[in-house]
Formats: sequence, structure tokens, C-alpha cells
Amino acid sequence: MLEPLEYMILALGMVLVAIGAFCDLAGALGMVRFPNFFVRLHAATVGSIGGAVIPLIGVALIASVSDQLGFFKWAISGGALVAALIILLVAPAGSHALAYSAHKSRAVPVEPKVCDLLEEHERAKAQRKVGEKGEEA
Amino acid sequence: MDTSPILSIFLPVIFAVFLASFTLYIVRIVKGPTVFDMALAVDCLAFDLAVFIALLSLYYDTPFLIAGAIALALWAYILDLYISKYFLTKELGGHK
Repeated sequence: MLEPLEYMILALGMVLVAIGAFCDLAGALGMVRFPNFFVRLHAATVGSIGGAVIPLIGVALIASVSDQLGFFKWAISGGALVAALIILLVAPAGSHALAYSAHKSRAVPVEPKVCDLLEEHERAKAQRKVGEKGEEA
Repeated sequence: MDTSPILSIFLPVIFAVFLASFTLYIVRIVKGPTVFDMALAVDCLAFDLAVFIALLSLYYDTPFLIAGAIALALWAYILDLYISKYFLTKELGGHK
């Protein structure tokens, strides 16, 4: 009775997995081709959200209609959903922490660049601090 | 319903795409000019490996592989945080 609905869920899951595979390949190509670390962050986010969260949701959908797995289909489905949720929360936080410390510690040259507003802001703040010290003395 | 006839054709194609992107990420890990590039590539590689393990558990019809995917999703984040903390403060919370 539920056959058409199950076919739809299976097709949706397969489409999500295919989109994920494409995003993953695009992210990997960008990771190799892009010129510096801060541009590669963009490719990394495509590769981790588009290439990991979306196919994991697709795996959860596919597993939930695969009766050849028996009762364990719910284990695969739930595990894939939990892994997707964890990656969705964790990947942006991790790449943001990396970007913050890479810029703050000046371990990565920002090259090639058009302008670096964060660096200009920090320099202006440092100059203001030096000026205030000079007035006190 | 039994999805194994469809999946046995569909999943190997997806495996090929994923293996190609693994190779490209490994190229960046080996080449990476700075530690941050390597950490970013290891990040993506770990998340993709989690997906790959979930797909393998569908391919081989076993639920025992999926537990590894959750652990793989977590350790890359810890790697990120430790690397960024080390580069910001030059210590990891031990004795100075």
C-alpha cells in the first residue's frame, strides 16, 4: 500500500546523495585550485556542508525504506541523521576558529588580496592605543 | 521494499566520485603550504569519510559501521580547536 511513497522517499534520498557527491567533487577541486587559505575556506565549507550533511540525510532516507536490512534499518537511519546534525553544528564552528587564529597569529599570508579591512582595523586600534599612552605620559 | 538491486548499481558510481575527491583532498594535505591548509583538508577528508562509511553500511547491509561515522564527525572539530588555540596562545593549557 505504501509502495509509491517508498519509491518517492528512495528517489529523494538518491537525489540528495548525488547532489552531495557533486558538491564534494566541487569542494575538492576548489581545495586544490584556489590560491590561498582564506579562499580555500569557501571550498572547505562547500565540501563539508554540501558534501557531508546533505548525503548523510539522503542515506537516512534511503535506509528508512530498505527493508532488506530488517529492524536495523532504523539504526542506520538514526545514526546517519545524528552524524548529519553533528557535522552541521561542528563544521562552521571549526572552520571559523581556524580562520580567526590564522588571521590573528599572522601565520598565513593574505596574498593575493584586494583589501584587508580587519588588518586595517587592528592597526588603527593599535595606533589609537599608542596615542592614548602618549597623552598620559 | 528491497532496495538492494537499485543500490548495487547506484552506490559504486557515488563511491567513484567520493574516491576522486579523497585523492584531491590528499593532494592538498601533502602540498599544503601552511598547517592551516592541511588542517582544513583533513577536516573535509574526515567529514567525507563519515559519509563514505554511512554509504558502505548501506552497501554491505550492516548497521555496525555507522557508529564510526559519528566519531569521525567529532574528532576533526577537536583537531581544529587545538590547532587554532595553539597558534593563538602558543600553549595548550599545560604547565608553562
